[in-house]
Amino acid sequence: MGARLVTATTPKTDYVHRNPRWARLRRFLRSDRGATWSAAVLFIAAWQLLTLIAPRVPSPIDVIQIMFIEMTGGDYGSIRRGEFWGHYGATLQRYGIGLAIGFVAGILVGALIGTSSLARALINDTVLVLLALPAFVWAFLTTMWFGIGWQAPVLTVAFAAFPFVAVNVAQGVRSIAPDLRHMSTAFGVTGWKRFRSLTLGGVMGYVFAGLRFAMIVSWNGVLLSEWFNGQNGVGFRTRFWFDANRYPGFLGWVISFIVFIVALDRLVLTRLQDRAFRWRAPVVETQRTPSQRTPSETR
Amino acid sequence: MAQVKVAELVKMFPPSSKSGEYVKAITNIDFEVDGNVFVSIVGPSGCGKSTLLNILSGVETATSGSVTVTEDGMPAKLGYVFQDARLLPWRTVLDNMLYVRDDEDAGGREEALKYLEMVGLLHTVDMFPGQLSGGMQQRVGIARAFSVEPDLLLMDEPFSHLDAITARSLRDHLQELWTRTRKTVLFVTHDVIEAVQLSDRIIVLAPGGYIYDDIAIDLPHPRRASDPKVATLQAEVLGRFEDMQAKVGGGDDEVG
Repeated sequence: MGARLVTATTPKTDYVHRNPRWARLRRFLRSDRGATWSAAVLFIAAWQLLTLIAPRVPSPIDVIQIMFIEMTGGDYGSIRRGEFWGHYGATLQRYGIGLAIGFVAGILVGALIGTSSLARALINDTVLVLLALPAFVWAFLTTMWFGIGWQAPVLTVAFAAFPFVAVNVAQGVRSIAPDLRHMSTAFGVTGWKRFRSLTLGGVMGYVFAGLRFAMIVSWNGVLLSEWFNGQNGVGFRTRFWFDANRYPGFLGWVISFIVFIVALDRLVLTRLQDRAFRWRAPVVETQRTPSQRTPSETR
Repeated sequence: MAQVKVAELVKMFPPSSKSGEYVKAITNIDFEVDGNVFVSIVGPSGCGKSTLLNILSGVETATSGSVTVTEDGMPAKLGYVFQDARLLPWRTVLDNMLYVRDDEDAGGREEALKYLEMVGLLHTVDMFPGQLSGGMQQRVGIARAFSVEPDLLLMDEPFSHLDAITARSLRDHLQELWTRTRKTVLFVTHDVIEAVQLSDRIIVLAPGGYIYDDIAIDLPHPRRASDPKVATLQAEVLGRFEDMQAKVGGGDDEVG
């Protein structure tokens, strides 16, 4: 290679790859996505190394193997397998019902606190106390009240979710500009339509923020509740492996519910939030002919 | 064709601090408007213009006196254009138009689209307000107010937040819409020149909230800002306005 003329506009490259595949790999490794994948690979390698010095830590292979059996069924000693989906189904049912109760109650109470100062003076402190109560307290209390059964995990989820939704909705309602309220009053928009378009529309972002926290906190709640009162469910199964002193099973279930909540957040909640905030999307230049433009358009 | 009766209207605002006194926004206002006329209420800042409109629209209540807005004896339907567009940012342009309507069916949509077309914004129906310029947003606000087919249209300095070129173009839009629909309009402004171009009658308020002058403008609509007759009348009315300021003072930097 001869001398190259370098000007201010020439991109600086200090290596040249003959093979485009290597160039692509190198680009990938230098990208943010590459860093994320590298971190994951390094983590699993470190985990595997740890099992060499600490024999009570199950190896990644052990965990994957036992979870595979849990999911697909199969024979593994004297214990019946293939119960993964049944346990998840039971837990998700409790989680879903509890969340629905907490969510609806949170929206109603939050809207009340946000709109009426009297309601705020009455209820706000109570909601803050509920917010400060950890989910495991609800898991204990509901078991004390209702004993073993479906009520304890469902209500644990509802109680844990409710204050997060209520506090956020109240904040959202209070944040709606008084100008928009005046506009609605001047045009005589009242009742359900006003609530739906003005209040709900304005608090949607806050609702999703609240729902996200609520879902994470109450997920812990339902697992804990099942841990000491369930006959089935994710929490119950996790405890089963703990009591059986089988760490690969225990760790596998722990990983499964972490994966579940992360996937839920990434795949569902983030998308819902993006959809609710479509109106905040950057300005889209519309295709128009100059004749459609009027002098009043300053943009 | 609405009838507006404002009788012995007084509005006091409570003091902002404990030791402060009640603030008199409107001392005593008496006037009547009847028929399809364009009436401007002009005055320097602090003369109670916006307060008067807020009382008329029901956003605020009067301290004493009475305000009635009727349509053949029945309560009149109101339309409102504000200083800023006041659109729901999380609703599309079309949904904003439908928000103030009683009917959201196909007929209501058609009506809403008709008025959007009149202000030249048919192509924005599915866009969100944040994707429009300030002038376009205000045009949606104007279309919205006209589309409810109000008996009385209240406008509160609708062009004061826009640049001069945009404001001029919107005034033309407004005149065109008004000559087509002939609503009863109460238009609040601090801009005398604008008031002369748009209105049949100008009510001049003085600082402290009372009527200083009531001027009839007898020129055919629509009026071009470049028309010499309009310009002459603008100069004359501006002269009377300056006289008032010399006598009672207040808010001179706001008058144009």
